[in-house]
Amino acid sequence: MTITTDEPRKDRSRRLDVTRAGGQLITDYWEDLFTAREQGKQIVWYNGGALNPIFQAAGLAWCHGEAFSARLAAQQLEGPAQLAGAEYGYQAELCSYSRTHLGCSVLTMGADDGTESGIVGMHDQEVLAAKLPKPDFFVNNYAGCSTGQQWDGVSFRIFGKQLPIFNVSHPYLWGNKPDAGYLVGEEWEAASTYVAEQLRELIAWLETQTGRPFDWDLLSESMHYIKRAAELRREGLELTKARPAPATFWDWIASVAPINFLPGDQQLVDYFQDVRDEIQGRIDQGISAVEDEKYRLYFDGIMNWNKLGFLSRKFAEHGAAVLAGRYIQNAFWQEPQLIDPDDPIKGMAQHYLLCPTNHGAKTIDYLTLRDCEAYDIDGIVFHSTRTCRAFTGPQRLLAKSAQDKLGIPSIFFEGDVADASFYKEEILESRLVAMLESIDMKRARAS
Amino acid sequence: MSHYLGVDLGSTTAKAVVVDDEGAIVSSATIAMGAVSRAGMEAAVARALERAGIERDALAGTVSTGYGRRLVPGAQKSFTEITCHARGTAAMVPGVRLVIDIGGQDSKAITVDADGLVDEFAMNDRCASGTGRFYEVLARAIEVDLSDLGELAMRGTQDLEVSSMCATFAETEIVSLLAQDLPIADIAASVHRAIAARTLALVAQVGRHTPVVLTGGVAKNPAAVHFLSRALGAEVQVPSEPQITGAYGAALIARDATRRGRAPVDDVADADHLFPRTDHGAHGHSCAGCDGTLVDLGRTIPVR
Repeated sequence: MTITTDEPRKDRSRRLDVTRAGGQLITDYWEDLFTAREQGKQIVWYNGGALNPIFQAAGLAWCHGEAFSARLAAQQLEGPAQLAGAEYGYQAELCSYSRTHLGCSVLTMGADDGTESGIVGMHDQEVLAAKLPKPDFFVNNYAGCSTGQQWDGVSFRIFGKQLPIFNVSHPYLWGNKPDAGYLVGEEWEAASTYVAEQLRELIAWLETQTGRPFDWDLLSESMHYIKRAAELRREGLELTKARPAPATFWDWIASVAPINFLPGDQQLVDYFQDVRDEIQGRIDQGISAVEDEKYRLYFDGIMNWNKLGFLSRKFAEHGAAVLAGRYIQNAFWQEPQLIDPDDPIKGMAQHYLLCPTNHGAKTIDYLTLRDCEAYDIDGIVFHSTRTCRAFTGPQRLLAKSAQDKLGIPSIFFEGDVADASFYKEEILESRLVAMLESIDMKRARAS
Repeated sequence: MSHYLGVDLGSTTAKAVVVDDEGAIVSSATIAMGAVSRAGMEAAVARALERAGIERDALAGTVSTGYGRRLVPGAQKSFTEITCHARGTAAMVPGVRLVIDIGGQDSKAITVDADGLVDEFAMNDRCASGTGRFYEVLARAIEVDLSDLGELAMRGTQDLEVSSMCATFAETEIVSLLAQDLPIADIAASVHRAIAARTLALVAQVGRHTPVVLTGGVAKNPAAVHFLSRALGAEVQVPSEPQITGAYGAALIARDATRRGRAPVDDVADADHLFPRTDHGAHGHSCAGCDGTLVDLGRTIPVR
């Protein structure tokens, strides 16, 4: 008997059940945002680090541009926005997050009535992409990416240069000074202070835009919840080191949105408590995230959002548990000990600086190798994100370092954050299998 | 005496090699074909078996490799070209440390350790730059038979600029050079030089190790070997049968598995029925006709 791929392969991945609840939280968040104008709220569009606690305390509705692009891509609905962006003049090599979001801006501005589209389903997708309520102002909070730093400025232009904009500037953490290291040194302290001062200026600016005093108590309360959620997230990540792994990188990817932009409240804490508890429960019951785990891999690169489920199944099919990655372990309130809820500004500034694209190679090398050792990694898969060179820049250095210092092999495949057309299945398949074969042979020789 | 079959179903040729218990090559066959052709593969297997004087049923093991590795009937296990080229080349040229394989649609640089096992590897990223396809484009453009290309290139003296990474755009550059009435020997030499530079970039990813061995159909082109050797600053060795190293490696792996008392796991058995071709979705930013990754296989699911 033979079977062709017309029939689905057996899914050997066991995703955490709780992420479905997270998905519902996110859906509810966006639905609420779509009607923010009707609710009488002012709306801020922003990009980069998670400023949402500040917006929450300012009484605003907030829209994270990257997050909406990722959501459209995850639902494979990014096409109309990207076409609108291309028609407006943003070509395919531009960051597909920004290209998608700028296309949303164009569609939001255009208020398309759908009469010109003859493509089945296209109009509904355009309607979704155009659903973002127009902003009242923009804030940019991007570290380590020149495109990100200009992104809201371009949105500002699309909306006719009529709306206020505030830019937070982030020094790149070169890590070159003699005392420089991860979370230490003069450069780190100076940058932290510099960004913290700007956040205070931002808050004063928001008071002007809203005509209300900023609610500092609400900021402390929000950051209290976020700190607790981040601690639970870290506990869950620690538990993921178990062998066999009870959860994977893909489960954490599914939990990026909640930690990145949901309001700081008890609901957020409850979600990450549930994530942590489900992982602990799996350890207690001996349930692995990948059936017959054979390899433990590290995934470097921003998520290919169109391919989340696909990649989860694909790696599991080979018995490969993807456990860690720069985009998870080194992002999203990843150092909760830095947060003082009673005086949260500095800790927030520091997290914005800790964007995984904002470190010099020495620090990225340290973090990557640290996590490869901590998770007992057999190989690294580099997602060479076609339109995000800020992330891919140091990847060759990391590959060489992992090979030379830890003897860990790696492969590269090209894809993208929100543009599926850059992904080529045969490239990842052949390289992944070749790496797994080489791991097998080395194991056989060692045994 | 037991015999083992290795089959390399590549993008433009099918190769089959039969080895004996000692790993010696008993017979081999190479068939040029259309992309991942079932008929080509069957012809190569039939010819290799005929030359070895054995029946298919008498084989003690079969391993497949290449783009079409999961389509080979009778194969108990498939391995990637990386593993098989490294294994086969290390057996043909003991002591090799860097294998450069230039096939029809992709090129690879593989470092192997002292035991002939893969250490690191790199493959061309997404287009046919530096592959056999690139040479075909050149031959067609300057109206020269592919087999005469190397000899022509060796006569070239002038270094013309050929900068494109893409075979299709390179063709445009070649047409432009022809329109300037420049000597075709110089054009051919310059394209060979450019391809060697692309290959050097690939080698840079894994490190320049020696001895170097070039495999794949392109290794039969003396100019390709010459310019690559110059670019690397090292002697480039070519096995007597550079196209069959992958199939040879596959045959050796089949033999190794049996020797260890662990017959290859039956993951592509009964593959005769596995040839329906399925379209697996849009390819978006692919380069029409030159993208080495576009081989669209009718995927199969192993039956346990």
